[in-house]
Amino acid sequence: MGWTRQQAKALADQILSYSKARECEVALEELRAGYTRFAANDITTSGTSRTLNISVTSRDGRRSGTSHASDNDPSVLKSTVRRSEELMEASSEDNEYVEGLEPQKYPEIRAFYEETDNASAKDRAAGVKKAIDLSRSKGLEASGFLETISRWDAIANKKKNFGFHASTTTRFSNTMRTADGTGSGWAGTAGPRFGQIPTQALVERAARKAETSAGARDLAPGKYPVILEPAAVADLMGSLIQAMSRRAADEGRSFMSKPGGGNRIGEKLFADAVTIRSDPFDPRVPGRPWSGGGGGAGGRGGGLGFGGFGQNAGAGEPVRKVTWIEKGVVKTLSVDHHWAAKTKTPPIPFPGSLIMSGGSGSVEDLVAQTERGLLITHFFYIRTVNPQSVALTGLTRDGVWLVENGKIVHAVNNFRFNESPVNLLKNVDALSEAIPTAGGFGGGGMIMPGVRAKEFSFTSKSDAV
Amino acid sequence: MDSSRRDFLRTCGAGAAAWATTALIPGRFFRTESRAAELPPDRLLELSAFALERAKKAGASYADIRINRYRSQVVNLRSQPDFASGKVNHTPSVSDSESFGFGVRVLADGAWGFAASYVVKQDEIARAVGEAIETAKANAALRRQPVQLAPVPAYVELYRTQIAKDPFNVPVQQKLELLRSIADETKKVPGVFSVVGFIAQRMEHRYFASTDGSRIEQYVYQISPELTATAVDKGKKQKSRTYRPHPVTAGYEAVERANMLGEARRVGEEAVAHLKAPPVSPGKKDLVLLPTHLGLTIHESIGHSTELDRALGYEANFAGTSFLTTDKLGKFKVGSEIVNFNGDRIRPESLSTCGYDDDGVKTRQFPIIKSGIFVGYQTIRDQAHLIGQKESTGCCYADSYASVPFQRMPNVWLEPAKTPVQLSDLISGVDDGVLIDGRGSYSIDHQRYNFQFGGDAFWEIKHGKVGQQISDVAYNARTPDFWNACDGIGGEATWQNVGLNADGKGEPSQINAMSHGCAPSRFRQINVLRTG
Repeated sequence: MGWTRQQAKALADQILSYSKARECEVALEELRAGYTRFAANDITTSGTSRTLNISVTSRDGRRSGTSHASDNDPSVLKSTVRRSEELMEASSEDNEYVEGLEPQKYPEIRAFYEETDNASAKDRAAGVKKAIDLSRSKGLEASGFLETISRWDAIANKKKNFGFHASTTTRFSNTMRTADGTGSGWAGTAGPRFGQIPTQALVERAARKAETSAGARDLAPGKYPVILEPAAVADLMGSLIQAMSRRAADEGRSFMSKPGGGNRIGEKLFADAVTIRSDPFDPRVPGRPWSGGGGGAGGRGGGLGFGGFGQNAGAGEPVRKVTWIEKGVVKTLSVDHHWAAKTKTPPIPFPGSLIMSGGSGSVEDLVAQTERGLLITHFFYIRTVNPQSVALTGLTRDGVWLVENGKIVHAVNNFRFNESPVNLLKNVDALSEAIPTAGGFGGGGMIMPGVRAKEFSFTSKSDAV
Repeated sequence: MDSSRRDFLRTCGAGAAAWATTALIPGRFFRTESRAAELPPDRLLELSAFALERAKKAGASYADIRINRYRSQVVNLRSQPDFASGKVNHTPSVSDSESFGFGVRVLADGAWGFAASYVVKQDEIARAVGEAIETAKANAALRRQPVQLAPVPAYVELYRTQIAKDPFNVPVQQKLELLRSIADETKKVPGVFSVVGFIAQRMEHRYFASTDGSRIEQYVYQISPELTATAVDKGKKQKSRTYRPHPVTAGYEAVERANMLGEARRVGEEAVAHLKAPPVSPGKKDLVLLPTHLGLTIHESIGHSTELDRALGYEANFAGTSFLTTDKLGKFKVGSEIVNFNGDRIRPESLSTCGYDDDGVKTRQFPIIKSGIFVGYQTIRDQAHLIGQKESTGCCYADSYASVPFQRMPNVWLEPAKTPVQLSDLISGVDDGVLIDGRGSYSIDHQRYNFQFGGDAFWEIKHGKVGQQISDVAYNARTPDFWNACDGIGGEATWQNVGLNADGKGEPSQINAMSHGCAPSRFRQINVLRTG
């Protein structure tokens, strides 16, 4: 239903033909989403949406202006280009201006699957039915979300650079709660193929967690060894990778800054077992062929606030595999276009997906090999407390269990943690197999192992279940 | 109906013209006008009537359509030293967005269905209605009880935020010049590393029509300026200070009265002082929280815990549930007797304020906590009956034409003391405490019990007097313990209409903005942590 490469190119060329500025960059995104939400053992809100985001940036060598729109009518396209030019003329000189990209060679990445694009409301309802049926039969309360997204992206500029990419995503997550509210379990994942989401297994996992987390006993806050399930690891790794900016490091604003100046590339900061890379070609978490940039704000969103800088900084680079940390050694920090020119290094954009190398067994195997520790399902409401050390705070959610002598002994209360993923990765001593996970609540693009670490700091108890 | 609405209706005549699109529009600054604004006035009526009729014919017991247009603009300026030369680099970022489309919602066989598209044409509306009906019918098989809607009268109305100066007509150059002069002034303070300023503005033109007979057109304007200075001790630490004039529903006059330039030096000085400030000594302390800080504490602990959809488990898979379960309504003591909260979407300039919600319910004010007791939830039409109520409190909102409307937080505000309590009165009663201004790191659990909140700037309070600036402060408490420890609230003269730019909820996630007005307040013996 979406664009072919030729259709996207024709639309991009049409927009560029209206441009009078020295440089013009266009990003196009057509998105079809279908989603079914359920709660309290019933389907609640669900529907479909069809949105178009057009982003036009005009640049004259010193200044730039960006305009977004959501309509492909020629008069709207023309006015969007004109507006970006008017904004450019009104803007002031950008001391960090970088030239637009020459034509790039983008890799082909297969990320579009008809089975996802064709999934209907009935197909989604059938998936949701698995959760609701199991939940009702066990006297639990199910809630969750099943979404399919088909997306067609294109970028183009006046220097004849052009890229096109089609992709699909399916996200499924569910939470089961006991009727008395004393137990709660969660499981979820994301991937490009609707048919490969293990809905039944995820439903059963959430139900099992709800039942076994009920009747949690009190445990005092403190430092404990932990086994973090893959979703919990994903929740923390997003914050870590965002902190791995070479500019922030060089400017002395990051945990990657060397006291006295410079950065810590090449230093061994983490345990031997820690290797983190990004691979846009991995079929489980396929990326877009180019970095950054997107259709932008022409579609949804009711917020009011900071728009951010450098929307196109580092955008448009052909993506490639990057090793960020290898056997505990920092190998790479992200570099935007401006910083790349400044430091005479190649630009390295933030990754769209993240893969942490794992071990061979399951999380259950990690439990069996653990003398004492806490098993954590995932985290909630993670915020940075100290950007310099990536100290984070947040809470455990949907199941914490005490493990002793290789066995789960009983569930314990939830905790608030104050801990840095930097410390966590220093303290890693065992890993399970890495699997795709929907970390960060509904995210995706993460393949993470379960992680066992010698120490993790829980600072207070939470009464929430 | 206020006089401006009456005048408008008289001018335009009754009926269809009452919801005509009028002069919203890019106007003077942009030479290029948008097509969406040119949609013929009675075309909205025609398209909506088509959608509603089609939905009814396809078996919908209820349907509504929103045909909405959104504009937003953000003007940013970052100023910081060049890596090599040390010269100050100014990096502007200017962007303007417009989106336009429709979303149709139907009730069929007792279940909801929704479909939205950016193509506002009759054929596409027909397709979307069909898809929404199909979705509702697919879902109906799994519903145990049909959806029930609290009744609403039919409204034919126009609502408009009262603005003195349309922010979209103020030239971008003028905004950048203001930000540049603020940055230059802030950078005069030795030790300031970077300065970031922005002016963000938004306009929603919402047209709503339902099979209940309502046809409501609304223009809502929101605006938010902000300034942040950061000081860096290289490789060791960084501290910042932010001046955030309250984001409001208003025009550009809100930026002009904010005195950003006048505050610039102070912000720079306090950023540098923050970097040099000694860390707090942790332990139990009294807190005096200024409105710019307390607003977000209210949002997280009271605003979210009193959302009915959370209490019913509708957000269990994402934002979470609430410790304020339905059995606690009318009974549970959330705070001390001086604590009174209201919800509303009518208070002038508050961010959630509008005339009607996205269920077509007329907005109102309603009590949430009275004398410390939990007395009211935020509700929408399909929830009210679940707690035995006959009407919605008007808290339905969708952040886009493409988003499904659901229960969102209104303005939730703390009543001031009835006596003229001053900030100095609150401080003078503290022997060992901390005065906190602005927002820092905020985190709360999924049932809204355990929270840990930081701030933007901190001063110690010793023996009834404000002392030196300190750093690395957070406090950790349990919501009911915290509000029961409130023993002082400022009077009317100290009350401020604090706004919160963006709050996320729902799957797919949606963003909204609301205000949490409050006066400075005092809390006894709260657990204070050192974060650095």
